[in-house]
Amino acid sequence: MSVKIGFLVNPIAGMGGRVGLKGTDDVLDEAVKLGAHPIARQKAEEMLQQFCTFPVNHADILWVTCDGDMGNNELETVGITNKQIIYAPSESTTSADDTKNACKKILETSPDLLLFCGGDGTARDIFTVLDKKIPLLGIPSGVKMHSGVFGITTTATAKMLLEFTNKRLTVGDAEIMDLDEALYRKGEWKVRLYGIAKGIIEPTYIQVGKSLFESVSDDEVKDELADHVKDELEKYTDWMFLFCTGGTIDHIAKKLNIEHTLLGIDAVYQKKLLAKDVNEEKILQLLKKYPKVKILLSPIGAQGFILGRGNLQLSPEVINKIGLENIIVVSTPSKLIHTPILRVDTGDKRLDHRFATQGYLMVVIGYRLSRVVRLQTNNF
Amino acid sequence: MTQITKRNANKFLKDEFDELVRNHLEWNIRILESGSKPHSIVNGKEVIMLCSNNYLNLSNHPRLIKGAIDAANKYGAGSGSVRGIAGTLKIHTEVEKRLAKFKRTESALIYQTGFAVNSGLIPQLVGEGDVVISDELNHGSIIDGVRLTKADRAIFKHRDMSDLERVLKDADKKYRRILIISDGVFSMDGDIAPMDKIVKLANEFGAMTYVDDAHGEGVIGEDGRGIGAHFHIEGKIDVEMGTFSKAFGVVGGLIAGSQDLVNFAYNKSRTWLLSGSHPPAVSGAQLAAIDVLETEPEHVKRLWDNTNYFKKELKSFGFNTGESETPITPVIVGDAGKAKELSNKLYDEGVFALPIVFPMVARDKARIRTMMNAGLTKKDLDFALDKFEKLGKQLSII
Ligand SMILES: Cc1ncc(COP(=O)(O)O)c(C=O)c1O
Repeated sequence: MSVKIGFLVNPIAGMGGRVGLKGTDDVLDEAVKLGAHPIARQKAEEMLQQFCTFPVNHADILWVTCDGDMGNNELETVGITNKQIIYAPSESTTSADDTKNACKKILETSPDLLLFCGGDGTARDIFTVLDKKIPLLGIPSGVKMHSGVFGITTTATAKMLLEFTNKRLTVGDAEIMDLDEALYRKGEWKVRLYGIAKGIIEPTYIQVGKSLFESVSDDEVKDELADHVKDELEKYTDWMFLFCTGGTIDHIAKKLNIEHTLLGIDAVYQKKLLAKDVNEEKILQLLKKYPKVKILLSPIGAQGFILGRGNLQLSPEVINKIGLENIIVVSTPSKLIHTPILRVDTGDKRLDHRFATQGYLMVVIGYRLSRVVRLQTNNF
Repeated sequence: MTQITKRNANKFLKDEFDELVRNHLEWNIRILESGSKPHSIVNGKEVIMLCSNNYLNLSNHPRLIKGAIDAANKYGAGSGSVRGIAGTLKIHTEVEKRLAKFKRTESALIYQTGFAVNSGLIPQLVGEGDVVISDELNHGSIIDGVRLTKADRAIFKHRDMSDLERVLKDADKKYRRILIISDGVFSMDGDIAPMDKIVKLANEFGAMTYVDDAHGEGVIGEDGRGIGAHFHIEGKIDVEMGTFSKAFGVVGGLIAGSQDLVNFAYNKSRTWLLSGSHPPAVSGAQLAAIDVLETEPEHVKRLWDNTNYFKKELKSFGFNTGESETPITPVIVGDAGKAKELSNKLYDEGVFALPIVFPMVARDKARIRTMMNAGLTKKDLDFALDKFEKLGKQLSII
C-alpha cells in the first residue's frame, strides 16, 4: 500500500475572520493592517499532528508539496520527511495564482488525493485546475466553509485521511460552493453551487448475506433515488416538479432522461423539461399556470444546507406559495453521514420559524426508503 | 458439428467465489464432530462453546431427544406434504396449542423456520400505500421480508422512541396501514427493544406491531416466555415472531398472537403454503422443549447466573461489554484486526467465540460476540475468563 498525497496550504486563508472581515479574497491588505495573523498554517499543522498520532507507516506515504508556508513548513513542523517539493511560490504573499500554479504542478505528479488547507475560495481555485481529476480533501481554515470537500474539524479531516490511506473510503461527488464576497462583506449571504468536485466519502453498504455486506457505489444509490423520483412523477401526474441544484438531482434527472441544469433549477412537468434554469421570477410566473408543485431538493455542501446556500431562486415567496409539505428532500446515506443535520436559512424569519417548529424532515435515502433528519435554521 | 458457445453460463460461479476468497469474505465452514454442546469438538479441537444460540443447552436435553424419537416412531420420518394440502399432522397442531398457552396469546402458528416467517408474512401484512417502520439495526431476515413488500419503508434510530414518534407523525398523514417492526433482542449488542413503549406509541397512531423475538424466546421474561412476558404485555404485541432454532434447541419458526392473525397468516404466507412441513421428530422435540420450559425453571436461571457472572468478571478485567442486557455479551475490542486475532488465539486456547467487524458494527467497535450457554459450569467460565484476561493483556486491549 503506497499513497501519494498532494499537499497545499493557502497561507492567507482565514485571516479575515479574526478581524471581522468575511473572506480575504480582495481585502488582504486591509486584513493585515487590522492585525490579522495567518491561521491556515496552524490549522494544517494541527491536522497533520493528529494524523501522525495514528498507526500509519509513513514510509508508504509520499507527500508532494510546495515550499515555505504553502506546505513544506507545516510538514517539517510535524516531522514528516518523505516529501517532494515541486513548487515554490513567487512572492512573499501568495495569491490565487500561486494556488492554481501549484495545483498544476502537483497534478503532474498524479497524486491519489489533494489535501489542502484553506477556505471556499481556495477550494474554488483548486477546482478550476483539478476539476474531477483527483479527489480533494479540505482542512477547514478559512472563514467560510460551505464546500462539501471539507472535513468538519481538523480531527475529522485527519480521520478521513487515515481511512482514505487505508482504502476504506471511496470517491464520490462533493460540491464546491462559491460565495459572493462583495455582498458577503455587506452582510448578505449569496452562496451558489460552483461545481461538483470529487471528494472522499463513506461508502453505503447493503447486507447481501448474514455477515456479508457489499458496498454500493454512490451512483447506484443515486439510481435508486431516481427510481423513487420516477414513482413520484408517475403518482403526481398533474404536478410540476422543480428539480433543484446539485449532483444528486442532476444524476436523478439524467437517469430519467430529463435534461437538467447542474448549477440551476429546472421545471419539469410530466417527465419532460418545461423550463430550463429558472429564476425566482420565472418560477412565480409558472406557479400561476401550474399551482400544484413539488420541490425536489438535495443537501449541498459541507453543512447540509437545503435552502439558503445555493437554490437561491427558491425565495421565501416561492416556498410559501408551494408549501413546506411539498418539499421532497433526497440524499445518499453517505452524505447524511457527513452532514447529519440539515439546515435552512431562507432569509425570512417567519418562514425559518415554520421550518424550526417542524424540527425534522423526512429524507428519502433509497428506493421508497426514508428516515428523519434533524433540521436547523440558525445561521452559520 | 462445431459447438457454438454463446456465453459461458457457469463462469460467474467460480469468478465470484474466487473474488470472495481474495477479499477474505468467504465462509470458512467449521465442522462440529460432537453435537452442539457446551464443550464441542470444532474442526477436531475441543473448545468451550461461546457462539451457539443453544442458550439453554436444550438440544442435548434427554426429554427433547426422547420427544423426537417417540414422535418419529409414532408418525414416521417425514410429513408427506405441505401444511395446506396433506402435511398437517396432529402433532403440529399440538405444538401450536401448547405454544399459544406458553406465550399467553390467543393462538400460535408454526412455520418451517424463522426466516420463513419474516420473508413470508411481512410482505402480506403491508402493500402499496402502506409503510413499514423499522429499527435501523433490524436482522437481515426482516430486511429481506420488507424488501418483498410494495410498501414504503422508513427507518428510526436504534431504540430511539422520539425518532420513532417523528416517523409515525409523518406516516400518519400519508399512509393506509403502518407496521412497526423491531428485533426484540438485538443479536449484535444484546440490547432489548423497548417494546412496551413501541406498543404504546403504536396504539396512539393505530399502527401494527411486529417483534422478532428470536433471541428473546427461552431467554427473557418469566420462564423464558419472551419479550411479551418481559414487559408484561403478553398479547399486546400484534405479531410475536420467534424461532425454535435458538434457545428452544430444535428448529422452526413461530408466530404468536390473535386467532385472526393466525387465520390470516396461514392463508396468505407463501413460504408456509408452498414448502413442506416439519418432520414429526422436530415437532416432538418442540413439544418437549415447551414442557421443559414450563416445568424446569432451572435452565433459564442457570443461563442468567452464568451470564451475570461472566459479564461481571469481563468488566472487572476492564473489558468494554457495551449495552448488553442479555446473554449476548459483546467484548468490544475496537480494531478489526485485533478482534480477529483475539478470536483466533481464543480458539487455539480452547474457547470458541467469533469476531464481528465492520460493516456489521461500527468501524471502531469491532468485537468478539459471546453467547452464554446454561450448560457451562463455573469451572468452564473461569477457564474461558482466564483466557480472555490473558489474551486481552497480551494484545493490549485491557
Ligand atoms: C433475529 C433473528 N431473526 C430471525 C432468524 C431466523 O430464524 P431461523 O433460524 O429460525 O430461520 C434469526 C437467526 O439467525 C435471527 O437471529
